[in-house]
Amino acid sequence: MIEFRNVKKSYPTGTVALKDVNLHIDDGEFVFIVGHSGAGKTTLMKLLLCEEKPTSGNIIVGKYNLTTIPDRKIPYYRRQLGVVFQDFRLLPNKTVYENVAFAMQIVGTPAKMIKRRVPAILNTVNLADKHASFPSEISGGEQQRVALARALANNPSVIIADEPTGNIDPQMSLEIMNLLIKINKLGKTVIVVTHEQSLVDYYKQRVITIKDGVVVEDHVGGMFE
Amino acid sequence: MKRYNVFYFIFEALKGMKRNGVMTFASVAVLLSCLLVIGGFSLIVMNIDFNLDQLGNLNEMVAFCESDADDATVSRIHKEISALDNVKGEPILSTKEAQLEALKQENESLYGDITDEENPLSDSFTITYEDNSKVPELAYQLMQIEGIRKVRNNLELANKIEAVKHGIMLVFIWFLAILFVVSVFIIINTIKLSVFSRRKEISIMRYIGATNWFITLPFIFEGIFIGIASGIGSFFILKFGYSAIVSGAASDIQMISFISFSEISTVVLIAALGIGIITGVLGGLISLGKYLKD
Repeated sequence: MIEFRNVKKSYPTGTVALKDVNLHIDDGEFVFIVGHSGAGKTTLMKLLLCEEKPTSGNIIVGKYNLTTIPDRKIPYYRRQLGVVFQDFRLLPNKTVYENVAFAMQIVGTPAKMIKRRVPAILNTVNLADKHASFPSEISGGEQQRVALARALANNPSVIIADEPTGNIDPQMSLEIMNLLIKINKLGKTVIVVTHEQSLVDYYKQRVITIKDGVVVEDHVGGMFE
Repeated sequence: MKRYNVFYFIFEALKGMKRNGVMTFASVAVLLSCLLVIGGFSLIVMNIDFNLDQLGNLNEMVAFCESDADDATVSRIHKEISALDNVKGEPILSTKEAQLEALKQENESLYGDITDEENPLSDSFTITYEDNSKVPELAYQLMQIEGIRKVRNNLELANKIEAVKHGIMLVFIWFLAILFVVSVFIIINTIKLSVFSRRKEISIMRYIGATNWFITLPFIFEGIFIGIASGIGSFFILKFGYSAIVSGAASDIQMISFISFSEISTVVLIAALGIGIITGVLGGLISLGKYLKD
């Protein structure tokens, strides 16, 4: 469960990014968060990733309250999340396999388990045959699927995708979205931040619209405003 | 509890060192130089200290009896001196007859005519003491013994030497502190470069949920390896350099005695490695600080 209660976020520069956000996302939901640039989507993401703390209000994710979480617990909180970025953020000097394995390594997964699990995840994102390739040798869509595989590696309960289709062609975008839907069907909460109207309209899931730092619309099967 | 593989950290550290090879080499070289200067200076200080301590007669004083003291008085004085605190071993008696004899042997024409009856000298005791700081007290106690006429000591000289030793030590400690700070800064710079070249990796690691320790450890290992390399290097340079200098100088300057390197090699090795490792750890911790703040 993810909950935002009267969340306000202003930056030291004086910019008020979020004015008063209230949100409730249940476990296993699929949610689009949409809005024009500057609406507050990025800030919302940063708050969810614990990169920033809210100025006031509470953010509850599972058993963590992100407003009061101590710094040393943040890594453990982040392990519950799988994050996908617009720019993939893969390690260029590691192969596809190693990029996924790396995520498991850093949380201390035993090597035996890594060897068993990585091929299975690569299979889920249809990349089993590219395991030995480096990111520079595969397409943008494939890179994003590696990123998705990495996000899944530690079996998180929530997947957060920040403009996952922003850097890839429309055909690949559909493939990525289909994968996210598939992952959601496996019982994971999926949050997709995007400004691509056509995708949102096509998938008819819950859509939360942010404008000028407040939630202006929240309905299921919704259309982009 | 999941276990992390220590080889991962070591491997990552070595990779980082290789990636910034030139900078790694530069910092090993500079840290090595710092350790050499520290080590060289320490050896000089140790030798000065050693030689000053060799001037053993500094902790002696001489008590003169009354010139008409008879044998019974002298042996009573002997016992009373032995009983005092701060007196090391037995006081050594040199009788006035023996002293006169020594003078006669030195200069027969001047002292040859003096008979034992005319002997103006007095029996004296040479006393070795343990604690330098209690010399005035001991001198006072000696003067209180009946039959002692005069006490002579080397306190002033001893104090001067002590002051010189203190001065050297003070300069040495400041020297050490400054070199230490310089070394830490050099390592910080190297590791900062290493951190900078891996900042993308670090940010990804943080998103995936790596703990700060997990991220920091490879860099600390990097610092430690630089420290160990410099420590070992400087140890061998000091060993051979010092031995060469000592064997060359020992024949020329015979009034100075040198500590042999084998006596102090363990201390030097531990110090070189210790300083290297401490600077490495500090450098690693300090240079990564800002990347780990949320």
